Amino acid sequence: MIRYLSTSISKTLRQLKRPVTLLALPAIAFLIFLVIYPTVYLWGMIFFSFHPARDPYPRFVGLENFRIILSDSECWDSLLRTLLVLSMSVPAQILLGILLALLFTSKYTRGSLLLRVLILIPMMIPSVIIGLNWKTILYSHGPFNEILKSLGLEPQPWLSAPFGHPSNTLICLALLDVWQWTPFVTLAMVSAFESIPKDVYEAADIDGAKGFKMFRFITLPMSKSTLVTILLLRVVDSLKIFDTVYSLTYGGPGSSTTTYPFYIFKTGFTLMSLYPSYGYTALLSLVLLGVATVLTTIIMRILKIEEIIWG
Amino acid sequence: MKREGLTIAMTIISFAVVLLYLSPFIWMIGVSFKPIAEWGAPYFLPQNPTLRNYMELGTGAVYGVRGHFPAIIPYLINSLVSSSVNSILTALLGAMIAYTIQRYRFGGTRLATWILSLRMIPPVAVMLPLVIIVKTLGIYDTVWGLILIYPLITLPLTTWLMMSVIKNVPRETDEAALVDGCTEIGAFFKIVLPQTGSGLAASATIAFLFSWSEFLIPLLLTQSERGMTVTVFAAYFAQEYGVLWGPMSAAGVVIALPVIVFAIAVHKYLVKGLIFAA
Repeated sequence: MIRYLSTSISKTLRQLKRPVTLLALPAIAFLIFLVIYPTVYLWGMIFFSFHPARDPYPRFVGLENFRIILSDSECWDSLLRTLLVLSMSVPAQILLGILLALLFTSKYTRGSLLLRVLILIPMMIPSVIIGLNWKTILYSHGPFNEILKSLGLEPQPWLSAPFGHPSNTLICLALLDVWQWTPFVTLAMVSAFESIPKDVYEAADIDGAKGFKMFRFITLPMSKSTLVTILLLRVVDSLKIFDTVYSLTYGGPGSSTTTYPFYIFKTGFTLMSLYPSYGYTALLSLVLLGVATVLTTIIMRILKIEEIIWG
Repeated sequence: MKREGLTIAMTIISFAVVLLYLSPFIWMIGVSFKPIAEWGAPYFLPQNPTLRNYMELGTGAVYGVRGHFPAIIPYLINSLVSSSVNSILTALLGAMIAYTIQRYRFGGTRLATWILSLRMIPPVAVMLPLVIIVKTLGIYDTVWGLILIYPLITLPLTTWLMMSVIKNVPRETDEAALVDGCTEIGAFFKIVLPQTGSGLAASATIAFLFSWSEFLIPLLLTQSERGMTVTVFAAYFAQEYGVLWGPMSAAGVVIALPVIVFAIAVHKYLVKGLIFAA
């Protein structure tokens, strides 16, 4: 991120002589204020201990925050939980998304436009509301357990974690993410499938390819680049899961749904933190920024920006 | 004949699947019309439908030991004001920078890539310094604080959308204006911007949607009805107001419905913008 900027600064300075660049300045100013400034600030903070309520004068503590992060098991647990959620939700989204896309683009399906508009809905409902919505569904006497009962299955305490059911809530969190973002995969794959030229299918048809074979050897390879982009986008977006955690479980029961972003929130902005220090919060934030930057760089390598913007 | 049967079958299956998929949301709409006795009842359609939950949202209500909640109106106004201002602001700023990037390659590939990559930054990671600065500026718990920080979410999005919109405006039109003695900035405001029409409107709408739905930023930057938005208001149902499912679901519907309507109106741009398609 920083690297991208620093190398473009010299080029940008040369361009600044042109009056038209004035148009870009307000946006640039905003982005410097909202992204560059906080990043620099965070880097400065990591060597200090500071908290407005408990530690009001910033103290230089050297590498103390690094020592804390290494021994803070809750931090690593929350990182692990984030990975667990995304390893459950992302494959499910991709699979379900592709299936729906195939259904929508089938030459036998009518009303494809309406279907696409309807499937957009879960993706656009504010995530906080999705959390509240599912809270009423997964509640122990709620409709989800009623369905299980009517199918002859054992109702589960989905939102609490009694002894013996340690990871129910984490599964619920993944379920919410799947529900919310499968439409995204579907819509992206629909547009990828539709951009495959018709004559490719006709040629394959003449060669005797049918059904699954057609999908395996034509549709899938020809939409591979979209699929990879979508996969990576979903992985990097999973690092943001916060709103649903807040409204569904508030990180609980215990800390069983405290994902990494929620842990940052808990440490920096609530009174529940074991290490109430802005310096430590800054370090946690930078770890997240680092992971996101690595993934983003990979995505940007895959996308052909040059072609998309000026091609 | 076989083909027709297949068409009917596939169409019915597709719509059934989508309906099933949307059933959790339909459930919420159902609960929002249920009287208190039916809130937890496991059926979709209320037996005695009532508007009470919606009325109480407008006035606030007390439910004895179960809890209480204030009227939604001030929070709605905060959301409306902050999202509208942000929408106009970022749509315009986004269009301006998108023009210099698309037409004059301002900042080259690197700047464009950088702006695009901002869409993927987890906002929670940069919020700490921003909360501190908003408090220092004395605009904590006001809509101004929100308007100042919302571009973090919406500006990369509008910039990106407007780049593809401006790409579709024929280059000849602004080149002709330049030949006629128009300045580059003048060409943007007089020639290019008017031609972006529906693209600009879509970009503003999408900025509105994203700031309306935003939760983390208002959660960290507001604390009372002076600045708090509807999303944070709704989240407090999960925390403080007890298990008031009826009003909670009604709030959910009130907050989600405008987003859904607008999203459907701009769905083409929305999908494009989110998957980085050209």
